[in-house]
Amino acid sequence: MRLSVSDVAHLAQLSRLDLSQDELAHMTEEFASILGYVDRIQQVDVTGVEPFAMPDRKDGWRPDEASEIDDATRELILSNFPERAGDLLAAPGVFQTPKK
Amino acid sequence: MKPLNQLTISSARALLDAGDISSRELTEECLKQIQSLDGALHAFVGTYPEDALASADRADSRLADSAPLGPLDGIPLGIKDNMLLQGKPCSAGSKILYNHIAAYDSTAVRKLTDGGAVILGRTNMDEFAMGSSTERSAFGPTKHPRDPERVPGGSSGGSAAAVAADLCLGALGSDTGGSIRQPASLCGVVGLKPTYGRVSRYGLMAMASSLDQIGPLTKTVDDAALLFAAIQGSDPRDQTTSDHEPFVPVDKPSLKGLRIGLPRQAHGEGVEARVREQIDAAVEVMRESGAEIVDIELPYMDEALAVYYVLMPCEVSANLARFDGMRYGLRKAALPIFDTYAQSRAQGFGLEVKRRILLGTFALSSGYIDAYYLRAKKVQTLIRRAYEKALGEVDMIVTPTAPNTAFRFGEKLNDPLAMYLEDVFTVSINVAGLPAVSIPCQTDGGMPVGIQFIGRWFDEAGILEAAKALETKLTERS
Repeated sequence: MRLSVSDVAHLAQLSRLDLSQDELAHMTEEFASILGYVDRIQQVDVTGVEPFAMPDRKDGWRPDEASEIDDATRELILSNFPERAGDLLAAPGVFQTPKK
Repeated sequence: MKPLNQLTISSARALLDAGDISSRELTEECLKQIQSLDGALHAFVGTYPEDALASADRADSRLADSAPLGPLDGIPLGIKDNMLLQGKPCSAGSKILYNHIAAYDSTAVRKLTDGGAVILGRTNMDEFAMGSSTERSAFGPTKHPRDPERVPGGSSGGSAAAVAADLCLGALGSDTGGSIRQPASLCGVVGLKPTYGRVSRYGLMAMASSLDQIGPLTKTVDDAALLFAAIQGSDPRDQTTSDHEPFVPVDKPSLKGLRIGLPRQAHGEGVEARVREQIDAAVEVMRESGAEIVDIELPYMDEALAVYYVLMPCEVSANLARFDGMRYGLRKAALPIFDTYAQSRAQGFGLEVKRRILLGTFALSSGYIDAYYLRAKKVQTLIRRAYEKALGEVDMIVTPTAPNTAFRFGEKLNDPLAMYLEDVFTVSINVAGLPAVSIPCQTDGGMPVGIQFIGRWFDEAGILEAAKALETKLTERS
């Protein structure tokens, strides 16, 4: 399996990673050897084999109840905000476009 | 008496309980050692001397009342930089979390502090636990305590080096593909990865949620058992924890009559001569002690690394999506908002992290998910079945932990695949969810070599018993 630079650029787009042309080129090369290695799983006979999954817990559900947190914890969460407006998280507008 | 920071947890416990030493003295000795060595070693990325001494004093007043909270009361430990401790920085070795402060306690660390343990600080690691050398920490590498030009292994390199250099009496690490066991092997300490589900991952920054497990790095097997017993247990906050009967250490460790499987791949090419010699010698010691060494064939061992390097990046790509410059960490503000995400992540993440995110995104993407992710999950089923069968024929399996001793800085950095091959003996264990422990087995005072015991699901008692028996025999000989 060999990916092209534009394939890797597409993956970068999907995963929200702003990579330079150099980084993309470098990554594409490394992918060739890594995918070359992991492609050996294509050789394994998996006829009739189920993908592994953990069994569900029988008591896996709990009531959907809101719980209170103490002020110290709240303040720690809020102070981690890169930009804060009172008790709100300030973020770029979802539909905001750069000024021309 | 030897310097207090050189004590094991068990011997420190005995001296504390007897009133011969205080937790304050013990903690001060560790802090002194950190002060004199860690500038060069860089095992810790942050230390909490005031908090540690305050904890130590509280432990001492409990001891004065003969009311210790448990075996770890007053014992100074280190925790890896990916385990939350409320109010303290926690960055997973990454620039993207350079200013992040933990808002709550991880369950494992909370169990330690509830038991009175003294947390000295957080230890260095490869960024987001991706690496086998700690060279990929955004905050600089950790040096091997015995040779400053060599790596301590990774990703829990800081924890391993801290224990090996007697900066603390024990430490917690995390292991997704070998990140406790390989650095333990390279640094010459004990490292245990419990069965998946034994220790809560609540508050552990997730790398690959179906593979990650927290475990102890210690100076002796007894200490590992002690630390593991303290952190194990079902947790309603982590639904992947198990209700299995708790681990209880075995009292009279013996190798006699144990059937121990030795896979032929353990002698394969790619294993350094020194590793092969020391492992062979250790196996001979086990044979002389009454163990039956059985040659086994472990099918899919060659494919296990490939399976790991599909499944783990897939889970990584999902788990690291939360680091987007929004609620915490580094934000590179830009418009449109997509660019805030893309630039924050590009600036905050190192190269290896980006590589694995991209790999995972590829393996999960439409058109490729069947051939990669789903196929890897099917091979995972085959790997688990192979181990189940093998562990039905023998009691446990033994391998070298790592194919080499500590390598030099830079040696494997430019070849991602060479670095991935470091984990060839450890990754299949995470894929299968089995427990495994690495103990040092060299007896010539040279660079450490780790031998790994792999057990049946939930049989930490069995592998720790065998490891302890070997440890005792090897100590007699060196």
